[in-house]
Amino acid sequence: MASPLEQFVDNVRTMSASGSFRELCEVIGKSDEVLQRNTAHLSTVLETLDIQQHSLGVLAVLVAKFSLQQGADVDKSTMFKQIHDFITNCNGEQVRFSPELYAELCHQLTNYLVEIKQPIRGIEILKKAIRKIQLFDSQLTSIHADLCQLCLLSKCLKPALEFLDTDVTGIGSELGGNNDSKHFLLYYYYGGMIYTAMKNYDRALYFFEVVVTVPAMVVSHIMLEAYKKYILVSFILHGKILPMPKYASQVVCRFLKPLSAAYHELATSQHAAIKHRDTFIRDKNMGLVNQVLSSMYKKNIQRLTKTFLTLSLSDVAARVQLTGPSQAESYILNMIEEGEIYAMINQKDGMVVFLDSPEKYASPETLCVLEQQMAACTKLHQYIQEMDEQIQVNPQYIKKSVGSHDEDIPATSQNSKTTYSM
Amino acid sequence: MITNFDKLCGDLEKQELEAPTGIASPSTYAQLLAIYLYQNDLCNAKFLWKRIPQNITSSNPEISAIWAVGQKLWKKDLPGTYQALAAFNWTEPVANIIRALEDNIRERTFNLIGRSYSSISIDTVVSMTGLSKDAVLHVCRDRKWMLNEDGVTVSPTPPTQPAPLHTSSEDQLFKLTEFVSFLEN
Repeated sequence: MASPLEQFVDNVRTMSASGSFRELCEVIGKSDEVLQRNTAHLSTVLETLDIQQHSLGVLAVLVAKFSLQQGADVDKSTMFKQIHDFITNCNGEQVRFSPELYAELCHQLTNYLVEIKQPIRGIEILKKAIRKIQLFDSQLTSIHADLCQLCLLSKCLKPALEFLDTDVTGIGSELGGNNDSKHFLLYYYYGGMIYTAMKNYDRALYFFEVVVTVPAMVVSHIMLEAYKKYILVSFILHGKILPMPKYASQVVCRFLKPLSAAYHELATSQHAAIKHRDTFIRDKNMGLVNQVLSSMYKKNIQRLTKTFLTLSLSDVAARVQLTGPSQAESYILNMIEEGEIYAMINQKDGMVVFLDSPEKYASPETLCVLEQQMAACTKLHQYIQEMDEQIQVNPQYIKKSVGSHDEDIPATSQNSKTTYSM
Repeated sequence: MITNFDKLCGDLEKQELEAPTGIASPSTYAQLLAIYLYQNDLCNAKFLWKRIPQNITSSNPEISAIWAVGQKLWKKDLPGTYQALAAFNWTEPVANIIRALEDNIRERTFNLIGRSYSSISIDTVVSMTGLSKDAVLHVCRDRKWMLNEDGVTVSPTPPTQPAPLHTSSEDQLFKLTEFVSFLEN
C-alpha cells in the first residue's frame, strides 16, 4: 500500500478513536488528492475500516471512489450496495461533522440511479439518509432535492409528500451560507411539480413562489421554469395571474416577464394556447395549459353564481360556451362534488339553483380549524422570536449596527446587546 | 368482509420500494392499484399505472382491467365505470378490493345525487349507480326520497351529516387558557 494512503488510514483510526472529528474533517479535506491518486487500493482501504467506528473515513473513501471523472473502468455495480450499507450503518453523530461529503455521496447515488434508469430503488435509501443527517424534522438538506428528483423520475410521488408537507424551519449547513443555491431551488421546483401532479395546486403555487422569490443577483434557469409553472398554476387556481410578492428580487421581475411572454398572453387571448403551442410543447407544459383551458369553464360557471340565483341549464351552456345543457349539467355536477360551488339541479324543469355556502361558521369543525390556525400562529410567533434573539446576539450584526451609529466609540458586545434588545 | 385497506396499502407500497430491482410482483401492483381506486386517490393510481413496466401490464390482463375502471373514474363516467367493473372476472385477492370499491362508488354517488339534485329522473339514477330500476326504487325508499306524481322523477334529500365529535369542555378550557396566556405574554 502506498505510504500517504497508509498515513490516511492511520489518521482516520487514531482520530476516530480519540473522538477528534473536527480535526479529522480537516485531514480528510486535505487528503482528497491522495485518495484520488490511489483509486486501485481504495477497496482494500475500505476493508480495513469499520463503517460504524470510522464513518467519516469510510465516507471520504466512498466519495473518492465514485467521483472519478467518467471512469469507464470503475466498477459501479457494487456502488448501490456499498452506499446502501453505509447509510444504514454509519454513525449519524460522526457524519454530521461533514454534511457536504455526505450530501455529495447521495448526489452521486442519485446520478447513478438516474443513469441506469432505476430511480425507484433510491427512494427508501434517501429517505433514510435524510432522517439520519437531520437534526430536526423540519430541517432542509440538499438531499431533499435528490429525493424529489427520484420520485418524479420513477413516477412514485407519494414517498416525497411526508417531507414536502413539513414546513421548513431550518437549513442544513451544506445548503445555507454562501453555498450554491441550486439544490435549494431544485427542491422547491421539484416539490411544486409533485404537488401539481397531485393536484394540490394551493401548495404547488406556494412552492413555485418560493423559487421565484429567492433573493438573487442573476436569474437562474430553474427560476424561469418555476415562474412559467407559477403562472399556469395561478391560472388553474385563481383564474388569473397573481402578482409577484413585493420581496421578489428586482432582477427576477425584470427578466422573467419578457422570457415568458407566451404564458402571459394566456390571460388576454383565447387563442394564445394554439398560437404558442410549440413553445408550450417545448417547455413540456402543454398538459398544464390544457388544464388551464378547462378550468376557465369552471371559473365562468363560478362567476355565474355571483349574478344569478336560478338559471336554466341551456342558459348556463350558452353563457360559458359549452355545447349543450347536458355538458353544463355534468360540469356543474363535478363542481358540486369538488365543493367548488353550491347548487341544486332540478332535472324536471332543467333548472339549476345556485345556493350560498351552507357554512354558518358556527360548527365544531370551524372551531377546530380556528384552533389549529391559532396554534400555528403561536408557533410561528415563537420561531420569529427565537430568530430575533439569535440575530441580536450575532457578533456581526452587533458590530455593523453599532458601527454605523457611532464609529468612534468601540462598544463592547455587552453594552450593545442591552441597547438593541426589545 | 372488512379488511384494513389502509394498512395493506402501506405494506404494498413498502414492498414496491424495497423490491431489489425496483420492480415488484404483478400481484402487488394489481392490489395497490385497486386500493388507490378504492381510496379515490386517482392521482396516485394514475402514476402507479404509468410506472408499472410494460411487459407486466401486457401479460396481466387484470391490471389493465383495473386501470380501465380507473380511466372511467378519472373521466367521471359513472355508467362506464360499472360496465368496466362488470366486464372482468376478478380473482382474489383483487376481487375483494373491487367489491369494496364498487360499494364505495355507489355510496358516494347516492350522496352526491342527494346533495346536488332537487329532482332527478329515475333513469339518470339508474345509469349513475349501475343498479336495476327496482333496486334504485328500493334505495330511494330507504333514503326517504319522494317519488313525484309523474312517476319518473324523484326528489332526493341531502344526506344527513354525521354527528360532530364532541370535545370535552376540559380540553377546550385548556386550549383557551393556552391562548390567553400567549396573548398576555
